This record gives sequence, C-alpha cells and structure tokens, in this order.
Amino acid sequence: MLQVNHISYQVQGRPLLTEVSAAIRPGALTALMGSNGAGKSTLLKLISGALQPSAGHITWQGKAMKDWDQRALARTRAVLRQQYSVQLPFSVFDIIAMGRYPHFRSKLTEQCRNVIAKVAAYTGTEQLLNRNYLTLSGGEQQRVQLARVLAQVWDTPSDQKLVLLDEPVSALDIQYQHQLLALVKGLTQAQFTVIAVLHDLNLAMQYADDVLLLKAGRTVRFAAKEEALDAPHIYETFGVKAALHQAEDYPHPFITVCPVHQQYQQW
Amino acid sequence: MLWAIGAGALSISPAEIFSILCHKAGWETGIPFTEQQENVLWIIRLPRVIMALLIGGTLSICGAAMQGLYRNPMADPSLIGISASGATAAVIMIVLGGKLFSGFQSVPGQYSLNLATFAGALLATVLIYRLSRIQGKTNVGIMLLAGVALNAISGAITGFVTFLANDQQLRSVTFWMMGSLGGATWINVAGILPFCALAIIGLPLMAKALNAFSLGESDAAYLGIRTERLKTTAMLLCAMGVGASVAVAGIIGFVGLVVPHIVRMAIGPEHRRLLTASALCGAALLTLADLMSRTIAPPVEIPIGIISSLCGGPFFLYLLMKEKKKNSLL
Repeated sequence: MLQVNHISYQVQGRPLLTEVSAAIRPGALTALMGSNGAGKSTLLKLISGALQPSAGHITWQGKAMKDWDQRALARTRAVLRQQYSVQLPFSVFDIIAMGRYPHFRSKLTEQCRNVIAKVAAYTGTEQLLNRNYLTLSGGEQQRVQLARVLAQVWDTPSDQKLVLLDEPVSALDIQYQHQLLALVKGLTQAQFTVIAVLHDLNLAMQYADDVLLLKAGRTVRFAAKEEALDAPHIYETFGVKAALHQAEDYPHPFITVCPVHQQYQQW
Repeated sequence: MLWAIGAGALSISPAEIFSILCHKAGWETGIPFTEQQENVLWIIRLPRVIMALLIGGTLSICGAAMQGLYRNPMADPSLIGISASGATAAVIMIVLGGKLFSGFQSVPGQYSLNLATFAGALLATVLIYRLSRIQGKTNVGIMLLAGVALNAISGAITGFVTFLANDQQLRSVTFWMMGSLGGATWINVAGILPFCALAIIGLPLMAKALNAFSLGESDAAYLGIRTERLKTTAMLLCAMGVGASVAVAGIIGFVGLVVPHIVRMAIGPEHRRLLTASALCGAALLTLADLMSRTIAPPVEIPIGIISSLCGGPFFLYLLMKEKKKNSLL
C-alpha cells in the first residue's frame, strides 16, 4: 500500500506541489494527469524516492520513503522513463539483466535467468534478446526497457511491487502505445501497484483504474476514472471544454475535446 | 612478453632469459649467459617490459571506465586533457619542488611525483565532468572541446614553467612531455605499482554500476546504485591510474581510446568483461608498441608516445566519422 500524506515540495521557495494526498490502491493502475508544469513528474519522483518532500511524507509498505535502504527499495520499486539515450551497444539481454542488479552481487543467479526469460516472454522480447539494443526501433526499445523494469520487481511478493511510469508512451506511435499500456494493465492482475503519468485522456479512460488530476501542484480530484474524468474536472484541470460520449455496449465513455478557436488578427 | 624481453639492441634468447631469472632466484640451470646479458635483462629490459604491461593495462582500463562514466565512447585520458594536466602538475613539481626532494629517483620521490600527477589528473577529470554535463547527459562535443582547451592550458603552463627550469630539470621535463618508457627502473616500477594495482583491481569491481550508468544517472539510482559514491570512486581510481602512468612515462596518447574500442567490438560493452579484457589487451599492446619503438631503428629509440599517436590518431578520426554518420555528435 502506497500512502501519500499531505506532501508539499518547493524548489527555491517556488512551490511545485502543495498538500497532495492520495492512498494508492495495490492491484490498480493509477494515472497522474494534468497540464504541463502541474507537478506530475515531480510527484512521481517524490514517490520513487529520488526526491524528498519539503513537508509531509510518503510511506510504502508502512515505511517512510526516506527510511528505505536504496538497494532494498530497488527490489520492490522500479521506474520506467519516457526515453533512454543509451550510447553503448549493449545486447537486449544485457539491458534486461540490469533490472536484476539489486538481486545479485557479481554473477547472474539461476533465479535471475528465470525471471529474465519470464519478463522477456511477457513483453514479447524473447526474439530480441541477442540483438544490439541500439539497432531496435523506438517501440521495441521501450518494450525492452519495460522488461528491464519488470525484471527488477518480478519475483517480489505480490502486493509489494511498485512500478512507476513517467510518460511511458509519449514517444511511441499509436500501436505501441496500446501494446505497452495493455502490458502494464495486465500487471495489475498480479497485484502490481502501477502509477503512470499519462497525457491522453482516452488512454487513461481505457487503461487506468484511478485518476489523480493535478493543477498547479494541487489535487483537483483523485477518484475512480469515471468519476474523475468528467467534463467539469477536465475543464478545471486542463482549461478545455470536453464532451463525453457513451457508445452502446462500450465499457466507458469516449472523450472529445472541443476545438479551441483563435482569431487571427491583422495588425 | 618473452620476445619483448629478449629483443633489442642486445638479443637474449628465451632459454637465456629463463636461465638468468633462475640465477637471480639462486638456482643454476647450466644454460650459459654473459654478464652483460644479465645486466641488460635485469636492469633495463625487465623493468621496462613490466612497466609497459602496467601502464598499458592501467591506461586501457581507465579509458574504458571513463567511457562508461562519461557515458560516451569518446572519452580518453589523453584526448580530454587529463594526462596533460597530470604532466603539467609533474613539471611544476619537478621545477619548483625539485629542491625539496633532491631528484625523483627514489621510491618516496616517485610517490610524491605520483601524488602531483594524481592531483593534476583528478582536477582535470572533475572539471571535464562538470563542464560537459547538460541535464544529466555528457555532451560529446563539449567534452572534446573542453579537452582541447585543457590541453592548451596545460601546454601553456608547462611551457611557462620550463622557462624557470635549469638545465638538468629541463632535460627531465622534455622527457615527460615526449612519453617514453625509456627511463624505466625498478624504482619506477615500485613507485607506480600500488596505484596501477588499485585501478586495475578496483575498477572491475564497479562494472555492474558502470553498466547501469549507461542507462542514465537517475536510472542507475533507481537500480539501487549509490551514484555519487560510484562517480567519486571511479574518478579517483582513474585519476590515480592515469596519474601514475604519466608520472613515469609521460603522455602516451590514445591507448585508453583505441584498446577499449577494439575490445568492445570483439566482446561487447558489458563492463565486467570489457574492463578486464581491456587491461590485458592494453598491457599486451603497449608492450608490443614499446618493442617496436626499440627495434625499428636501433640503437635509436622512437618515443612510444609518437607510435601510439601515430596509430591512435587515425583511429580517432575513423571513430569520429562513424559518430558523424550516427549524427549524434554535438
């Protein structure tokens, strides 16, 4: 269970987050949403333990984030970023094996090899294992990185797996976006706690369970997605008018955003 | 290695080498050798070959580690001015501190010289790292250009200091700038051994961390690696290794660039294998290069710095062309 308790975060007196609280459910995909600069990535970094809040605290498994040993934390929490700039020609296997670094000292154990085989199978990267990472397409690279991230926590007891995704699909094309989110969504069935920064309202509606809306560092709404993503909240968070359409036999509404009109002025 | 010990202005056969070594260990084999051969082997040849092995290994492993640390394959101690800064520190030490230590042909003198080159090299390492980082990534272009600047500054300081030097000091200063293994003695070998050993043994222990570092600094931290400690230790070890080799052999360029690249092409970039293999390969290569420098035009010796730059320069250009194709430079 991940508890975010009244956290605030300031950089040089400028508040980036103010009094944010949330009880994140295990076995659910929570989407962090908000416009640019709303504090989504900062919140994710605070949750990951990379930053420490100026006030309030975050607890994971009943223990404050700042009290976790870095290596012990690495065995229970993994982070996927939007894009990686790897310069050296590592093989895909080497990259995924890095996810096991918190688990072994100098040589890959049998258990590590098992986990690597399993995450490769889950993410559909078995065929790539011997390939040079640098020669893969962007979508393949991101899937390999997801495999690495999963390898980090794969064999951790079931409700103690925390996966944080910072804009995991922003650099991908539509097909890969859905593929990756489907993979992530599948994890929640195995009691992973997943938190993802997302931009696309419909992707959030399709794949997330809960949504936390942020505006200027404050919580607009934290609730189940159908409740959080309604027209008033969307307007409050993003400043755009949205309409929700419910198609028959479709599990959730579809969100369209009204075009913004800008008059061209002749000076 | 046997060949390297044996070949030279005075040739000694492997059997004779064996015999001499046994003789030194107090055991006679009956294979005849002359006293001249014994002296050449023991006083000149053997320390020199060991020195070449040590320095070649150290420079290569430091190059490989720095490429991992800076997260780009162009980092090389000589290219980015680290060797030069070390040499400058050494020259300052010789000219200004020479009176204090009445020459450096003693183990403590050698250590103090090592300390100076270490300080110079460390300063350059940290400086380059700070300068070339933009948003957590090292910019190759800035790194190389900062290296050019650092090389120029070091050269200028060295040039200035040489004006203050007396004749004898000047001679040892020029020796440093050329890059040569010609001055190898047992005292030198003993002087650098602990520093080289630290780098050669210490750096492979950080292999996992260096691998993770190639994902990015924050990602290495997410994998439970203490990144600040890694950076400090790696920089210290590299500066120590490079400093030690500059202290006895001057600036031998490109070894730290060429060797890890060749090894990486052969066995991939995984640091556990890469670091050890680079050390071995570098040791062999520098011994070979030193052999060439002694035997191309005997009895004249071509400074090894010239040979390494002659081979390394074109290789560097080739790497630049490759990077240009990838369009990732600058």
